[in-house]
Amino acid sequence: MLKRVTGLLVGAAIALAVPLSSQAAAKTFYWISHGGPADPVWTYFLQGANQWAEDTGNTVNTSFHSGDVPSQQEAVRSAIATGADAIVTTSPDPGSMNDVVNEAKAAGIPVININTPDPSVDFDAYVGMDLVQTGKQWAQYLVDNGHVKEGDFVWMPVEIPGATYGVQEEEGIKTVFEPLGITWEVTEATLDQAEVITRMSDYVTANRDKISAIIGLGDLVTGSIKRVFDQTGVKPGEIPVVGWGNSLDTTQEVLTGYVNAAMWQDPHATSYIGLSLANMASSGIPAGFDVLVGNLYEKDGAQGVDDILSGN
Amino acid sequence: MEQQSLARRLIAKPEFGPFVLLLVEIVVFTSINPNFLSPLNISNTLVFTVELGLIALAMTLLMTAGEFDLSVGAVFGFSPVVMWTLFNQGILPLELAFVAALLLAAFIGFISGLFVTRLKIPSFLVTLGMLLVVRGTALFVTDGFPQRTWNAGDQWLATVLVGDLNVGPFRLYMSLFWFILVAVIFWYILSQTKFGNWIQASGGNPGAASARGVNVGRTKLILFMLCSAMAALAGIISSIRTSAANPNSGTGYELEVIAMVVIGGTALMGGRGTIIGTVLGVFILRVMRNGIVLIGVPGLAYNIFIGAIILGMMALHYGLERRHQAGT
Repeated sequence: MLKRVTGLLVGAAIALAVPLSSQAAAKTFYWISHGGPADPVWTYFLQGANQWAEDTGNTVNTSFHSGDVPSQQEAVRSAIATGADAIVTTSPDPGSMNDVVNEAKAAGIPVININTPDPSVDFDAYVGMDLVQTGKQWAQYLVDNGHVKEGDFVWMPVEIPGATYGVQEEEGIKTVFEPLGITWEVTEATLDQAEVITRMSDYVTANRDKISAIIGLGDLVTGSIKRVFDQTGVKPGEIPVVGWGNSLDTTQEVLTGYVNAAMWQDPHATSYIGLSLANMASSGIPAGFDVLVGNLYEKDGAQGVDDILSGN
Repeated sequence: MEQQSLARRLIAKPEFGPFVLLLVEIVVFTSINPNFLSPLNISNTLVFTVELGLIALAMTLLMTAGEFDLSVGAVFGFSPVVMWTLFNQGILPLELAFVAALLLAAFIGFISGLFVTRLKIPSFLVTLGMLLVVRGTALFVTDGFPQRTWNAGDQWLATVLVGDLNVGPFRLYMSLFWFILVAVIFWYILSQTKFGNWIQASGGNPGAASARGVNVGRTKLILFMLCSAMAALAGIISSIRTSAANPNSGTGYELEVIAMVVIGGTALMGGRGTIIGTVLGVFILRVMRNGIVLIGVPGLAYNIFIGAIILGMMALHYGLERRHQAGT
């Protein structure tokens, strides 16, 4: 009987010890984004981070800062102060995270950059797209498929002009369009869905004859194309469109012919791999390389992305 | 002589200034780009105008009573999220979800009104706090994900609220008719009823109004509820039209709506309001935004022009206002 009780107690002690030891090994990571909590794409990034936390049993503290640089810097400093094992963060503006990343590194905390690259800051690694390359791909797609030629005009709506993503994309687009004498204009669409549609509809109404093609520099603007075209009486395919494709709105637009090709950046995987690299770096294995993602899909590839975004 | 006095009476009306401004805008934009008056452009201009306009009409009554509601933009985003969440998750049919969203919005207005009238906290502060509470709730409830509204097309309620019809070359949405109906009702309330007198008295001199038996607190409470409910209705209409119920929709609308009301001739500090003026104010701002794009202002210079024109319009508006007051 005593043996049984002893065995039971030993068994219970072992059973308790296993989770206790794994709890002791659990680490705390900070996932800090310049995106907005209601931005559809960022919700997918967030899902990837939460999934990683669930899969690994580590703690991931997440926060959004809606383009507010001081607030994001403060969040990184808080993570440093609380002794985070590693930080995964974005770059709201080129160079803006320089000081805080240096402070984190001085404290021995690795910092992985996701979503928007910023070579001016000493991040441990970058996971995401090469946005200059993305811009170049969009422009080249329009040229290679005969949608634009010398002397044409391309309209490029963006949610927030001057933000890193749009600036880098335009830089890439310029390398293709400028030598061909193709001109373009960037206009502000804002982050409000109704306002986006209104402003874009106004622009299409005013410049319909002039626009040879459209490049949506952000997800919200590209995902609004169908509604803008429907409102202004433009038929699918009448004006060629390329842009971002990380939302169900855009996958549907590609499937129905409103958008010719869209870029998929796999937001879930970006967060997941970013945190994996952060975990690795915090264990002493340096992450001395970048991971680039991104795939320009057309109608035949749109259903696959649509399934991922629908959770199918 | 009679003609002269008629002209003088017209000029003396508070709506004269905004009317002149609107006319000037239309003439200038049309002379630069004749497409400004094309049926397609007029149809497009009317769509978004009336959604903001619905809130501006209710805000006119509230501001006439001497109060603001800064939470209208947040309610605009929150209410469709509530309605579509209840509907998409099969909790309620769309019609009941619509009513529930409106009632919830009215309740938000009720709470704001209670804080303002019972605790005597300025509405600016109360509704600023409410803005954050409502916006935060919308984000928390949805996890930041927009609610899908694609199956709205099959619903009779969606057709009643935003169905479109072609009248000659014009494509008009039902929301325009709702806007006209609400404008007529609110004009009647404000200028022809006892409740309208109470609203103006509450904003003009609340102490004297109370002394004369006006229940200032209850009047303001009703207006806060009405303002929130109208913001909810506008948000729901917008969500069906744009096929998107984003929790962050309506950001910054509160300021635009207040600008519409003030440009229309309603006194910023209360006591005097005009529904016709607000209708003109709504069109002035919307026509300006549309016209700026149509005349080909460079995309990134858009806000410079909008800001400069608003300043110019306000200067002109107050100039006309002073002249009209001096003449009366």
